[in-house]
Amino acid sequence: MTNAVDIENVSLVFGGEGNNPVLAVDTINIAIPKGQFVAIVGPSGCGKTTVLNMLAGLIPPTAGSVKRNGKEVNGPSRDVGYMLARSALSPWRTALRNIEMGLQIHGIDKATRRERAHELISLLHLDGFEDSYPSQLSQGMRQRVAIARTLAIDPDLWLMDEPFGALDAQTRLTVQGEFINLWERSGESSVIFVTHDLEEAVLLADRVIVMTARPGRIKSDTIIDLPRPRVIDELRFDDKFKEAEHRIWKELRDEII
Amino acid sequence: MKSSDTTSPEPSNDERDNSQDSTIQSERFDMSSITEVPRWKRILIAIDIPIQLVRIALLVLIIWAWESRWIFKGGSPFSFLGWDYELFPEIMPLFQGVPSEALDFFQDVWNDSLFWGDFWVTLQEALLGFVIGSGSGFIVGLLLGSFRKAAKVMSPFLIFANAVPKIALAPILILWYGVDIASKVALATIIVFFIVQIPVQAAVSGVDPDLDVVATSMGATQFQKFRFVVIPGILGPLFGALRLSSIYSILAVVLGEFIVSKRGLGQRLLYETNNFGMGKAIGLITILAGLALVFNAIIGMMERRFLRWQDTEARGKVVSL
Repeated sequence: MTNAVDIENVSLVFGGEGNNPVLAVDTINIAIPKGQFVAIVGPSGCGKTTVLNMLAGLIPPTAGSVKRNGKEVNGPSRDVGYMLARSALSPWRTALRNIEMGLQIHGIDKATRRERAHELISLLHLDGFEDSYPSQLSQGMRQRVAIARTLAIDPDLWLMDEPFGALDAQTRLTVQGEFINLWERSGESSVIFVTHDLEEAVLLADRVIVMTARPGRIKSDTIIDLPRPRVIDELRFDDKFKEAEHRIWKELRDEII
Repeated sequence: MKSSDTTSPEPSNDERDNSQDSTIQSERFDMSSITEVPRWKRILIAIDIPIQLVRIALLVLIIWAWESRWIFKGGSPFSFLGWDYELFPEIMPLFQGVPSEALDFFQDVWNDSLFWGDFWVTLQEALLGFVIGSGSGFIVGLLLGSFRKAAKVMSPFLIFANAVPKIALAPILILWYGVDIASKVALATIIVFFIVQIPVQAAVSGVDPDLDVVATSMGATQFQKFRFVVIPGILGPLFGALRLSSIYSILAVVLGEFIVSKRGLGQRLLYETNNFGMGKAIGLITILAGLALVFNAIIGMMERRFLRWQDTEARGKVVSL
């Protein structure tokens, strides 16, 4: 079976033509089987977002190859959902129409779009806010709308770039729970979840990859063997969880301190 | 006081012993004490009658001062103190048009088909100039704002073209396009073009780059990015520019008609002024201003329709989680 993602000997240099070329990512290798939830953790500026950008087809690697489902990535694909750290909602679209945006770009007819958007509205507990503009929503709701917009197109690869970084602790816990439920239901979707929050990574992921400070290299790659489905607000107090987090923390600490 | 009609899901705290849990609140604010402001009251508040009264009083004062030629003569209320002055002694009474003469003019032209012919000519010129000028300004601004290299190539040419005092081109345009409406449309087009192109181009680079990344990652084509990201993102500055250019298109065609023309309100205005028909001139100027106001109002209506979302932003009505 082909992997969802194969990153082979990938390096990326920024500002190649001009002065001061910067090596952002240095010869990394990651293979992700279908249906796996992978978290990438590392200090800021370690090239986590760059890895997502390459997978989303927004920038090509300087060296090496980036493959999805065994095929080289050459440009954005309809099967990839990319969620940015900032919710990046269109302020002139209502919540419902923001969720529809990807479907509209893909040329899906209005009735189907509406139906799918309403489905996500209720999955993410946004009922009653369909017609609200982003400025009328709280941070947590905006982030939920952004999740819904990312998932509306039914991607088989979810790229999440610190999606909950801007949320307060309690809201984050709620939204994380909703997110993990959506993924556990989705079946075969693979997730690459970039975060600087180790607790979040261990709570959500099957596997945690720690990257080093610039240039980004892979420091460790750990399978998190916690049962699913996970009830994340309870899991936080589980001994096995704490043990796993502590193990990875030791790796990460060298990079941060 | 605890309201009895609220449907609170919480059990009553009355029977609980509060001696240990002193923080538990048993009092609830009684929402029924807040009554809604009735509709007629809200309308009254929105109309703001005192403001309207002051406005009307000011308008009456201006018309009276003008009609009685007080603003020309001065005739100070302090003349009994021997303190008198004349505001505009250089303006001869023959050249002082007053509102009542303008009113006579409105009555005269109301059934005058020749006048309405001139009105239509000017309206046509202004509309065509506005549509062609702001349409091309919008497209060029959008493209140059989106494609950096093209903007770099074009910028010195556009800066020079914009620096030209456009009215200086009028004689040449009349030579090229004749004395009929085409030359006036051309002049209005050139003036309006830059009023729209410059702010549109600047606004394109102000659109949130994250929105572009999102659209790109969804596989949007360049056309889809214009449609879903760029154009909605620049509507605010665009409408501001359109308001200005609607007024400037009228200004441009009146100027064009002053230079050479057979028909049009500007041509009429010049003729009346040359024949000391001051009341008629004032009437014509009022009609031109009215036309600009109608243009502006139509654009304002479109603006409110398209930028409804900004209303909600301004009100900052935040719903919390």
